Amino acid sequence: MTLLSTTLNAVGLIFLTHAVYSTHEHTTTFPSAPLPLDITVELLFSTLVLSAGIVFASPSLKPIQWSRWAGKIEREGRQSEGTWTREGEEVLDEGDPYAFLGLDGGIGGKGEGRRGFWDVRGKRQEYAEWVKSGGKN
Amino acid sequence: MASPNLLAPPSSITPATALALSQKAPPILSTHPTSTLPWPLSLLFTSESPETWTIHENLFYASLRTGDDKSARLILDRLSSRFSPANERILTLRGIYEEALAKTPAELEKVFANYENVLRDEPTNFSIRKRRIAVLKSLGRREEAVTALTVLLENSPTDAEAWAELGDLYAQGGCWAQAVFCLEEVLLITPNAWGAHAQIATLHYLTTPSTVSTLALALRHFARSVELNESYLRGWYGLKLVSKKLIPMLAEVGRGGNKRGNREDEDEDAPPPKLETVKKLEELATGKLAEIVRMYGAGKKGWTGFDEAEVIAARELLDRDGKIER
Repeated sequence: MTLLSTTLNAVGLIFLTHAVYSTHEHTTTFPSAPLPLDITVELLFSTLVLSAGIVFASPSLKPIQWSRWAGKIEREGRQSEGTWTREGEEVLDEGDPYAFLGLDGGIGGKGEGRRGFWDVRGKRQEYAEWVKSGGKN
Repeated sequence: MASPNLLAPPSSITPATALALSQKAPPILSTHPTSTLPWPLSLLFTSESPETWTIHENLFYASLRTGDDKSARLILDRLSSRFSPANERILTLRGIYEEALAKTPAELEKVFANYENVLRDEPTNFSIRKRRIAVLKSLGRREEAVTALTVLLENSPTDAEAWAELGDLYAQGGCWAQAVFCLEEVLLITPNAWGAHAQIATLHYLTTPSTVSTLALALRHFARSVELNESYLRGWYGLKLVSKKLIPMLAEVGRGGNKRGNREDEDEDAPPPKLETVKKLEELATGKLAEIVRMYGAGKKGWTGFDEAEVIAARELLDRDGKIER
């Protein structure tokens, strides 16, 4: 899809530039004559091709129904957006927007939600015990 | 699941994941994100981005967790030189660092006293107030933590995180009614949170003694959670569990209900659901669970985001059900 959209955009841009240049040439040479048909057609064609290229280059649409959208997040998990930060971390798309409530682990859950109340000593102890048991789950 | 990510850490981190996360520390700490050039040039030639600091913060948590205190100290120094040591969030991170390094309860008490000092100067610092509550919890003083949380919520009643925490504390103590109240407050702030609906349903389900009305409430909230999220495994699981428990009870009420006149104590605000409706819901939940288990098991693309343990639990529930029917 990216190859198709890049090609369309490139072709469209070339034609658009050519059409604009031709118009400029024509109006400076014959100031009073009307624009010939082939320039108009080229202009319209290039705009169409460019529009198609831009539409193909856009990311896929999100579901507009809440339950579908939420279901998609739940089913697919967080996917890569194809970019990386300078530190080498992958940029992921959106996840559960309510994860901050920390309710997914159930009662007394061990999730990472509710950062404000993060139990650093509990987590450290959990890790120390994991190391002591030989790194098994 | 993808490799551990510091920019978007997973919603639950096992010790193994924490280790993998904290092992990313050396390369990140070897380069300096802020520019050393004088002021106008530093704006042009800096390589820092908002993500840089999110990554630093998450790395700080991961290193503290795995006992890599030296890296944590380095990150903390970096953050405080960037955002000034008086910044509210930096104060909180420093507090977390001190909490982690406190070896004895007495040292932890000292951290606690430090928080009190900060709060005396600046009572509106909510992150420090939350840390204070976290320390109380860590010291095992749950009653005091609950009291402190209620005070905090009186001052800031729209803090969904604090309501959720209070609900969790109450639920751990078995105070179901209070926990339900707290989760209802969470729902007032974030009415579309499917997780909050599932949690409230769980609380209703666990309420003792379980009657038709508590189970009906659990059923309603589970149903709402799957209405908000069509692939919510926990919601479908709960829906199946509750409806299976509710069907015999409703059948009982249907047989003997007409004879009894005193039914107003059971249905306080809404009549119990119809038996056919519950049966249909159970069928729907079974179908959905089976679909999720099948698709996840086959490793279909677009179905890999579920938690493996949850899918295994769902499969066991379905298997148990199958044995009874066949």
